[in-house]
Amino acid sequence: MATETQTQNVSVNNFEQCLKCSICTVYCPVSAVTPLYPGPKQAGPDGERYRLKDKVFFDESLKMCLNCKRCEVACPNDVHIGDIIQAARIKYSTHKPSLRDMMLANTDLVGTMASPFAPIANPVLKLKPMKAVLHSVMGIDKHRTFPDYSNRKFESWFKKEAAPNQDQYSKHVSYFHGCYVNYNYPQLGKDMVKVMNAVGYGVHLLEKEKCCGVALIANGMSKQAKRQGEVNMSSMRKAIVEGHVVLTSSSTCTFTMRDEYDHLLGIDNHDVRDSISLATRFLFQLIEKGEIKLEFRKDFHKRVAYHSACHMERMGWVPYSTRLLRMIPGLEFVMLESQCCGISGTYGFKKENYERSQAIGKGLFDQINDVAPDCVATDCETCKWQIEMSTGVPVMNPISIIAEALDVEATIISNKK
Amino acid sequence: MKFDVIIIGGGLSGLTAGIALAEAGKDVALVSAGQSTLHFGGGSLDLLGYDEQGNEVKNPLDAISNLNGNHPYKKIEDVSRLAGVAKKVLERAGIATAGEANHNHWRVSPIGALLPTWLSLEGMATVEDAGTMPWKRVALVNVVNFLDFPTKFLAAGLRNRGVEVDVKAFTLPELEQLRKSPTEMRSTNIAKVIETNNLIAKIANEVNDIAGGYDMVLLPAVLGIGSSETSRHLLKAIKVPANYVATLPPSVPGVRMQTLLRKRFTALGGTFFTGDQVIEGNFEGDTLKGVKTAKLDGTTLEADNFVLATGSFMSRGLVADYNHVYEPALGVDVEDLGLDRNTWSKIDVTESQPYMEMGVKTDSCLRCQRAGNTIANLYAAGSILGGHNSIKRLDSAGVDMLTALQAVNNILK
Repeated sequence: MATETQTQNVSVNNFEQCLKCSICTVYCPVSAVTPLYPGPKQAGPDGERYRLKDKVFFDESLKMCLNCKRCEVACPNDVHIGDIIQAARIKYSTHKPSLRDMMLANTDLVGTMASPFAPIANPVLKLKPMKAVLHSVMGIDKHRTFPDYSNRKFESWFKKEAAPNQDQYSKHVSYFHGCYVNYNYPQLGKDMVKVMNAVGYGVHLLEKEKCCGVALIANGMSKQAKRQGEVNMSSMRKAIVEGHVVLTSSSTCTFTMRDEYDHLLGIDNHDVRDSISLATRFLFQLIEKGEIKLEFRKDFHKRVAYHSACHMERMGWVPYSTRLLRMIPGLEFVMLESQCCGISGTYGFKKENYERSQAIGKGLFDQINDVAPDCVATDCETCKWQIEMSTGVPVMNPISIIAEALDVEATIISNKK
Repeated sequence: MKFDVIIIGGGLSGLTAGIALAEAGKDVALVSAGQSTLHFGGGSLDLLGYDEQGNEVKNPLDAISNLNGNHPYKKIEDVSRLAGVAKKVLERAGIATAGEANHNHWRVSPIGALLPTWLSLEGMATVEDAGTMPWKRVALVNVVNFLDFPTKFLAAGLRNRGVEVDVKAFTLPELEQLRKSPTEMRSTNIAKVIETNNLIAKIANEVNDIAGGYDMVLLPAVLGIGSSETSRHLLKAIKVPANYVATLPPSVPGVRMQTLLRKRFTALGGTFFTGDQVIEGNFEGDTLKGVKTAKLDGTTLEADNFVLATGSFMSRGLVADYNHVYEPALGVDVEDLGLDRNTWSKIDVTESQPYMEMGVKTDSCLRCQRAGNTIANLYAAGSILGGHNSIKRLDSAGVDMLTALQAVNNILK
């Protein structure tokens, strides 16, 4: 009986495992720059003790949390501090998302509207008067530039240029490209197809893909996030039945669909979770098993500094990307000290968060400027915007670096053997 | 994923082993389940503070040779030499310390006790001999409203040793801001505010206004998270001798050590698996082939040698349930005290607690055992080793670092 009581006494989010050691407070990027945020210990397990008694103890300052999960990575007792904070926001917050929040969160919808007008929208969104209007009317900070919208969506390119060639391969993967690849940066998706095809894998898109929902969760629209998540899970189930692994090129989409769906949105993803992987991890695992081989160009030279995106760090997968990059002979690798860049998706776009966002990232920007690499590598697209805007150093997804360094002909020959 | 050596545990012991191996040219990975107890460290490293009779130790090297046979130091070939190596490992990571293994000095604890210690970080308050206090008039200068620096205890401790103590405090508008979230007036947050706003000169002014007539100013250690640069700067700008005393957790000097050691490990090419946990070992006969972690599903981390440095009960390196004590990561054998839980502890908490001496079983080369068989390539280091009570002996950092370095030597042999 006693043993049963002890082993079964596990609280939601390991809430009762908190020893009050305060280690999490050392690693919170938000409380490092503002005294207005009560910090992960108080906002998380300490505050939860009160909220369980009465919801009046809920504090709207919890919306300052970036959901970076660095408190969870630091916690020696595996308390899901970030989950406690986000779950409290979902449960207790009475704050209604503004038009601005809805616009930022609906990356799918806005992307669909903006893409056909990209040649007009891109320059207009960069104009000072437009930025001033966005700043004062919408609350989107004037220092920010929206990532360019692509005139041709990745999906359109894929259907016309790539899809017809995919059946010639004997092995296949499904690709969850995400909003960023689809609307803003199709090149990453093209790089993904190039690398996968070179190692003998055909690429397919999901029957139906919706935004993973990370921005919806952050902006208080968890119901919509849940609906979209269910669509993604059902499409992925179909791909998995066909024997496909579902690959992504974004650490945040991956983390959201693998972990946040279940922890925060209550989506049952247990049968799908293990089949969702990041492309770098997939490649590394196949190389290690000896199933594929990458051949690299002799004339490739680049000094690359790797930035550990928060959700990549939380998944524990950083070494997959870094060990893969370090396989490239001409690549000089520098590991940056792991810290948040401050953008946290849509957070840094809001004018009330801009200063905080830049203060959080300052240490990282200084490091990058000291290292002076040819490019920064990271697995997260929003880190890319933030680092490029704040340092001027170009940022590349590891898959794009592989694609650039790859000797395609030689790789195809090696993988046919 | 294949490495030469995998270290399990990212505290003082694991990082020491990781750095020493990486310095020897090995490809090393380190798996760490959250941050370590270095965050509670006091800015000093103890080798042996009290002998088995409870007497203060003046010369740790002499006292170590008189310890009983179960103490982890008995498995170290040359304590004096490895103590020197440990100091150099810290120095190369950017952690300058003062002190010698044959000659303890005394540190001031956060609650005012004077404790014998081996190495102290630069700038920490220490005395050569607690019997003859070098300070006559001390100003204890706190930051207004900072509660993790218990000045009453500190003052009482020093007064008991015949020192005249005045408790003072200062503040600055930037520091007052921290009170906007009353719970967040913490040492590390104060350090961040001081460093972001370049407050050294302003703080020096405030302290200098108070410091006249004192022969020592003691400040809470709330400076220098990433390096000792700012903390050194402030001491130079104060016109009387001044030093730091560690605060209650989180400890800024402890966080600094953690940060610099990790940086050193990464700069040497070490791979850090952050916030992950080893959950299983693949054993083949008397060899550990690889380990599985909670987050790398589908990937086994393989290596020629392994070091288990996951700490004691507090760090979950050892786990107790109602019936027994076990090692959760790899299931190696633990020196248990038997089924009767009542024998594990004494009712008087100040007594020497038997459970404190529990740890994993090792052979003379620090190799672990499983079901009674020695595992040829799995070494244990640090607080997970039994046979001593680190609170009663004050030997925690010494055991962490020296057993790690001995394990490394055994691996490199």
